[in-house]
Order: sequence, then C-alpha cells, then structure tokens
Amino acid sequence: MKIPVQYHNTFLPFLIVTNIMKKLIVILLCSLSIQAFSQDDLMKMLENETKNQTEYTIATFKGTRLINGQTIETVGKNQLNFWISHRFGALNTGFIENFFGLDEARIRLGLEYGINNQLTVGIGRSSQEKMYDFYAKYKLLRQSNTMPVTMTLYGSNAISTVATGSSLESGTVMRYKDNLERMTYTGQVLIARKFSDRFSLQLMPTFLHFNKSETTDTPNNMVALGVGGRMKLTKRLSITGEYYYADFNRPASSLYNNSLALGFDIETGGHVFQLHFTNSRGMIERQFIAQTTKSWSDGGIFYGFNIARSFSLDKKAKELHK
Amino acid sequence: MKNVFKLLTLSILISSESFGQLYATQSGEINFFSETPVENISAVNKTVGAILNIATNEVAVSMKMSAFDFPNKLMQEHFNENYMESEKFPTGIFKGKILEPIDYTKNGTYDITAKGQLTLHGVTQARDLKGKLTVDNQKISLACNFDIKLIDHKIDVPKLVFAKIAEVISVKSKYAFTPYKKK
Repeated sequence: MKIPVQYHNTFLPFLIVTNIMKKLIVILLCSLSIQAFSQDDLMKMLENETKNQTEYTIATFKGTRLINGQTIETVGKNQLNFWISHRFGALNTGFIENFFGLDEARIRLGLEYGINNQLTVGIGRSSQEKMYDFYAKYKLLRQSNTMPVTMTLYGSNAISTVATGSSLESGTVMRYKDNLERMTYTGQVLIARKFSDRFSLQLMPTFLHFNKSETTDTPNNMVALGVGGRMKLTKRLSITGEYYYADFNRPASSLYNNSLALGFDIETGGHVFQLHFTNSRGMIERQFIAQTTKSWSDGGIFYGFNIARSFSLDKKAKELHK
Repeated sequence: MKNVFKLLTLSILISSESFGQLYATQSGEINFFSETPVENISAVNKTVGAILNIATNEVAVSMKMSAFDFPNKLMQEHFNENYMESEKFPTGIFKGKILEPIDYTKNGTYDITAKGQLTLHGVTQARDLKGKLTVDNQKISLACNFDIKLIDHKIDVPKLVFAKIAEVISVKSKYAFTPYKKK
C-alpha cells in the first residue's frame, strides 16, 4: 500500500492496524460462509423433505365384514380370507324347547381373495335357503391427509338353490320357474371415515334387485341405508354396531323389520373373532337387509359369531432379507 | 480497496452457494428381519431420508414407519396398528456423529462408528452403530447393520404370538448420498 512520504512516521502504525483489520474482516466474512449445522438442524432439513408425502389411513375396521354386512376394507394383495359365519336360533324360542336358540344353527362358509390391494373377489354358501353368493369389492377412494373418507363399491349376486316350493323364513312359499328367478343382486356404495385411532363410522347406501319378488305387492327393487361403526376398547378388542333401514319403499303390509346388530371383535394374529347379537338370521344382504322377520323388542335375537382366518399366498419372507 | 472489494464479493458468493458440505438422500433403504422357528417376518423401506455433514461428521436419518412394505398385507397392518402404533409415532429417527475422522477427498472404504440417539416407537436409546462408509468422488455410500431389541423401545408382543416374533430384530441399512441441494 503506497503511503505518501510525509506521513510515514506519524500515520504508519495506524495504517498497519487498519490494514490488518481489513484482512481480518475479510477472513471473518469468508468463515461465515461455512455455517455450523447442529444435528437438530440436519433433522429439520430432513423433515422438510418428507413433509409433503401422502399418508394413507389404515385399518379403519379390523376386517372386511362389520357384523352382518360389509366394511370398506378389502383383502390385501395375494391374501386369502376364510370365513365361517354362524347363527344360532332365536333367544325367545324357549329354554327346554330350543336351549334359547343354541339348538339351531345356520352357517355360511366363504372365501375371499385380494387380486390387488383395491380389488377383492369372494364366494360363499349359506345353509339358509342353500344360497350361494358371489361378490366383488373395489376400493375407489382411500382416506388420507388429503381425502376425508374411504369409499368402496360392492356388488353381489346371490342364488337360492332350495327346491322350488320351499318356504322362506316368513312363511311365503316360493316357486321358481328357472334359475334366473332365484337370483338377487345387491349393490352398495360403502363410505367410511376413521375419526380417531379408536372410532370409525360407515354409511352403507344399498340397492337390492329381486329377480322374483316375494308377493305381488313387494317391489322387485329395494333401497336401504345402513349405518355402522366400531369403537376400539384395547389394541385388539372393539365393540361394533350395524343398523340397516329398509322401509323406504317396503309396502305397509310387510311383516319384515329393520336389521340391528351389536357385536364384539377380538383380533389375534391371523384371526378375527366376531361375536354378536342380531335380529337377523340370514348372513347375505338379501336375507338380513330385506327379509328380517324377528325384532329386538320381543326377544327375537340371534346370537352368532364370525371367524375370519387370513392366509398369505405371497412369496416367503426370507427371500427379502439378503 | 479494490482487493478488499474482490475478497468481499468472493466471500459473499461462497456463502450464498448451496451448502457444499452436506450430502443427502431420500431413497435410503432399510430392511429388517425377525427369525423364529415358527415364522419369519421381513419388510423393506425404500424411502428413508438421511443427511450427512462431511465437515462435522454429523448424520441424521429419518423414516416413515408406515413406508415399510411387507409381502403379507395383514402383517403390515398389524405392524403399524398394534406394534409400532404408527399413527402415534409416525417416524423413526437416528441422529448422531461419526467418531472416526474421514478424509472425504480420498476415495476408499472406511470402518466407522456412529454414536448417537435412536428413537423408535417414541422411545430413545443411546446407540453406537458400526458401519462402512465408502467415498467415490462425489458419491458417498454408507452401509450399517445393527440389532434392535424390542423391549428397548417398549414394543409389546402379546403372549399369544410370542413364538412368532423374535425378541431381537436384525436391521440392514444402506444409503447412497449425493450433494444436498436445498429446494
């Protein structure tokens, strides 16, 4: 740095100091560019990156059936569920005569398979009216941090295979001219929301079509609305309720009642046990939604249980860990 | 003065550049394996986030528990709902520091120990995790295998399925770091 000769003696120390100071300032500015990151700053940066990922709600219900009817849950990919549904007789049929209903039994055996995580197909057979049911379920919407509900479509065809001239539970004698007359179709749009870890609620708008209706004044098409929910008591125990209102276009002369069911779910590893009381004897939509003869008010309550066992048909776990 | 100005602008430019000392990844992979005579359980998470500060050797790892993929979907549901309680504790975290000094300018593989805190299921444990760090020009890769004792993180296994789930789970993790660019 050029210093004018006459200032040499007096200003030299001052000039040297300012020179050093300027260099110091520059060094300080350079060192500020290498910032200090604490481990928490690193963590905050990571969290910012993952903030916008969609988080889907899981396990709104513990299984694919609520009590009598379906839930929005579908079967996982390559998973097979085996269902045994059992209904005893009605409680008000006396102790000596019927052991409060335990002497009687109706069974439905079913299998359902997850083609992928959204699409489930299933078949089943009930001892009541010897009915076969075939169904498919498709999960259209999934609840997440951007979607308020889960929506699943359900469609089934149920075929009664009892000999023509047999009577229904209501006493009506059904005469079938051909196999098509034995079929009843069900369509449902299941909508559910998991409100909290413990509480889930579901709405079940339902449409039924009977190829052959029971009487001349019973309509072939029927509309119903179901509402159901579950409340978790512990990690593996919950109470459930399910109600189907079907009086929208049922004739006033009909002796049928709406279906109400209350139950208790126990989950253990690969099984779900569902224990319940309901006024419906049947386990297929046409039977419990449209043709429930008994009512809670006069003790026409059936005790029943469902057991679902899950099998995984996927590759062995060991292959993954290499 | 001219020189000072040049130095000043240079230092400002250096400070506004993306942090040259940070390396990160959002596709780290962690898989775990539980082996018992009755049943084997395994799952993999391929969206693990990790960040490494090569100036201070500090490292942070964060993963979403619900991103662990199981071939058996029911197992995945039980893992999240009953064991990890992923709705209450959605992320697993490790933050720590690599103890050995590493020359990031020299290519090679180093045996390292990361000393820090591992938080899983809401419970934090001090851990020393051993691994291998490989430097290959601008790519840093890290592989770290360790064990997790379920009781250390208060993960309850009910008596009914006791024989199906191992008490100690073996975990393998690998990360491929690239220079971090802030969005």
